[in-house]
Amino acid sequence: MNIAEIKKILPQRYPFLMLDRVTDIKEGESIKAYKNLTINEAYFNGHFPDNPVFPGALTAEAMAQAACILIQKSIPDLAATNFYVTNMKIRFLKTVLPGSRLAVSVKSVKMVKRGGIFETEASVDNETIAKGDMTFACK
Amino acid sequence: MSESNTRNLEQDIRGIISEITEIEPEKITIEADFVEKLGMDSMMALEILAAIEKKYKIRIPEEKLMRLKNLRETINLAKEYLGES
Repeated sequence: MNIAEIKKILPQRYPFLMLDRVTDIKEGESIKAYKNLTINEAYFNGHFPDNPVFPGALTAEAMAQAACILIQKSIPDLAATNFYVTNMKIRFLKTVLPGSRLAVSVKSVKMVKRGGIFETEASVDNETIAKGDMTFACK
Repeated sequence: MSESNTRNLEQDIRGIISEITEIEPEKITIEADFVEKLGMDSMMALEILAAIEKKYKIRIPEEKLMRLKNLRETINLAKEYLGES
């Protein structure tokens, strides 16, 4: 799924669109996606001026956006248009620097019309940099 | 289901609820209303349902979510899908 298709599903836009491409999607089961993090990204200006590090909160956002795509592709007759993270427990294991390709994977634990529970992991160069669980409400 | 198995089920499910809601297990009495007394919301109920499914390797349909009103109802629902009601 390319960026044009992603933008048809996700309402987020620059500088808050945290996925460039979806590489694999198994409806009802899982999704894999990535974002290339260049030094030109807006957040590196302030996080931090002399030591650019990708914010962990945005890793969590990338995971959440991948989950939103998975929900919408898995439940085609979903009436909900808004997705709210109601619970998120992520452990951050390594720092992520400019030049990285941030890969996120999301696996459904339970997905229903009113929400979903997911296991998620992010990696750079096949090394896990964050992992955890999240719950969404669909309204 | 024997009395001791029911007690274990009660203990396990109370533990699941306590972990998800961060409420002390002793406050989760058999009749305590999840919403009124324990301040739970529908997404916490979904998390509890998913945790029960994972622990006991059972599948409980979404429409049964409404039955998660207190610990007693939750245990009864789990028993039905464990085939031991």
